[in-house]
Amino acid sequence: MNVCRFIAAAFAVGILITGVHERVMAFPVDGDQTALPAKTELNEDALVRPREVFRSEITGRKSYLVNLGNLAFSSPSILGEVARQAGISCGTCHVNGAGNAKFFMPKMSTRPGNFDTTGPLFNPKADNGVLDPVRIPSLRGARYLAPYGADGRMPSLRDFVHNVIVSEFAGPEPSPSIVDAIVAYIQDIDFLPNPSLGPGGSLVGRVSDSERRGETLFSKPFPHDPSMSCAGCHVPSGAFVDHRQHDVGSGGLFKTPTLRNADFNAPYFHDGRFDTFDQVVAHFDSVFDLGLSEQDRRDLVAYLTAVGDGAQPYESEGVGASLKEINDFATVLGTAIPAGDKDTVALAVDTIGGELRELTEQYPDRKNTSVSGGEQERVNARTALKDIVLLLRRIDMAVGDGRTADAAADYMNYRRLMFAVVPSLLAGAERWSLFNPAVHDQHYQALRQVLQSKHVAQ
Amino acid sequence: MRAALCSFLLMFGLARAEAATLDDAAQRYRPYVIEGIGSALAGARDLKERVAAHDLVGAKKAWLSARAGWERSEVFTAGFVPELDALIDAWPNADTGFHAIEAKLFGAGQTDVEGDTDALVAHLDELHRKLSAMPLSPQGLLDGTVRLAYEVGESKADGGESRISGTSLDDMRNNVAGIDFAYRTIFADALKEADARLADSVTGHIEQLKGVVAASDLPHVDVRALRRASEELVVALQAAAEKLGLRRPTLEAQSR
Repeated sequence: MNVCRFIAAAFAVGILITGVHERVMAFPVDGDQTALPAKTELNEDALVRPREVFRSEITGRKSYLVNLGNLAFSSPSILGEVARQAGISCGTCHVNGAGNAKFFMPKMSTRPGNFDTTGPLFNPKADNGVLDPVRIPSLRGARYLAPYGADGRMPSLRDFVHNVIVSEFAGPEPSPSIVDAIVAYIQDIDFLPNPSLGPGGSLVGRVSDSERRGETLFSKPFPHDPSMSCAGCHVPSGAFVDHRQHDVGSGGLFKTPTLRNADFNAPYFHDGRFDTFDQVVAHFDSVFDLGLSEQDRRDLVAYLTAVGDGAQPYESEGVGASLKEINDFATVLGTAIPAGDKDTVALAVDTIGGELRELTEQYPDRKNTSVSGGEQERVNARTALKDIVLLLRRIDMAVGDGRTADAAADYMNYRRLMFAVVPSLLAGAERWSLFNPAVHDQHYQALRQVLQSKHVAQ
Repeated sequence: MRAALCSFLLMFGLARAEAATLDDAAQRYRPYVIEGIGSALAGARDLKERVAAHDLVGAKKAWLSARAGWERSEVFTAGFVPELDALIDAWPNADTGFHAIEAKLFGAGQTDVEGDTDALVAHLDELHRKLSAMPLSPQGLLDGTVRLAYEVGESKADGGESRISGTSLDDMRNNVAGIDFAYRTIFADALKEADARLADSVTGHIEQLKGVVAASDLPHVDVRALRRASEELVVALQAAAEKLGLRRPTLEAQSR
């Protein structure tokens, strides 16, 4: 087996499971004053996030529609009341279009990484009375992966998105343009490139003996039904899917999941019951009586790991990534303001303003006990971000009043500040911010300590 | 030339008169902040007695009472007494102050907070004694009002600052009451004279904020409406600053 590749994959999975460092444990939503069940884990404080690759950015820039879709995808306001109150958006589960292996919501999850889309919390009318969570899937390469839903019940991505908003999360009927935009955004999310995969999905480059044996086994007919093989469903030339549903002994018919970038998509199976490829291979060996030797299993895991790899799967959460996302969202205003599109401007101001307020909290104020030093730098960063929030609000108010020229002037000012002024102020304060792992640890450790005192007492 | 000079003198005179009016109004605010901090001090003293008696229920009640007086005064505290503010209201796991005591009383359910309570009483007492002689500038009070109006709009989806005691919504209500009182007492009359429409707008946004924080509990606070009302109020108050002859308020107290 290619040792380097294995180490890289293991490291990536390790990050996914543990966060950026062992000592950094995610901070759960807690207390009895939130719209979410106590001990909900959203992993929003993670210092690394999945890297998102857009097809359109390979050769050019994202379109207005894709940026609008990304904006809506990140906005709680398109969902129902509970999600809005809790600040939950599509992006909470599908972080940068990938999954969220640490997501856990008591009464809606049975393990980290799954979620009951027909549970009672977000839309009681859609509650089927059964705790039957499904794995939160990655959306990378979704345009190749129809039908949609773990059971593949929806051939259309557009119908699926509409259903998530209206049925699963009780959101108001979205405008057709918003649904179109979200679909455009999802369809623009690419697989992470995997240089080990050649045309037709075969392994190329430096392939280890174990990976090569695994590749052969993958296409080998099953001993008790020669019409079947792993590759029969996970078709290498077709993104490792066959667009069909199968019963693989997991309790029903479920669609074939892709193996591309699967190294970063744990947990596995429709309900996320397996953590590792070893467990997945053992399951198939048992259910289909494959008679695999220990070596065969290792070879298949090596092959799956090679197929499931991807370049630079994670990126650090920092000022640069945050500002890029916010600035991409804000490009929507460049079209919506001249058009006097009040709804889109309001959506953008609401969503970007929320992101900027969250970014502000990355720079602790002087009453925060987690950090000392850099007080003036933190004040400068916080002030700049708050000024931007208010600038956006002025844009919203101006468009609402029909003063589009004023809004356009404010938008130009926004762009000037966000490109020429804010980045340096934020960078200047970064070492005293929650982007610094030491400050981050101290802050969340302090919060956990306070909350634990309550749980100990209870 | 003579007309221009007359015009200048007239405007200069008006500006001075406006400043004097605002200075007078700022003095009318003083009893409110003395009462608020006095109430916080009385609550803290009661807390000290309840703690000495190992009366957990009574201590929690006293903490809540002290907290209410403090939150009503936040227009003033962050800008005028930042050092004491940091000692009294540090967060999240402060060694002293309200939140240190909150964690033990409401979190661990323990009353072993004698030292913390002594320190809180001492800090509030020091602040209370300073208040009668402390200069209260209209600019500083407008800055404080604007900062608090912005802060009220922050997300409390995680339970907010006082999540252990579950009183974050009460904090917000007291903050809004403090904003309302400061505006009405110090700035409303002068702004009505300078720009009646803008004055109506400010009042309208404050009423919106009051309506939003009147929700039954924190999870039912309409966060989108809260943020909108908060930010529109700040925008209106920033516009008011110019009309009142004051500088545009800054959104963070400067470090010293």
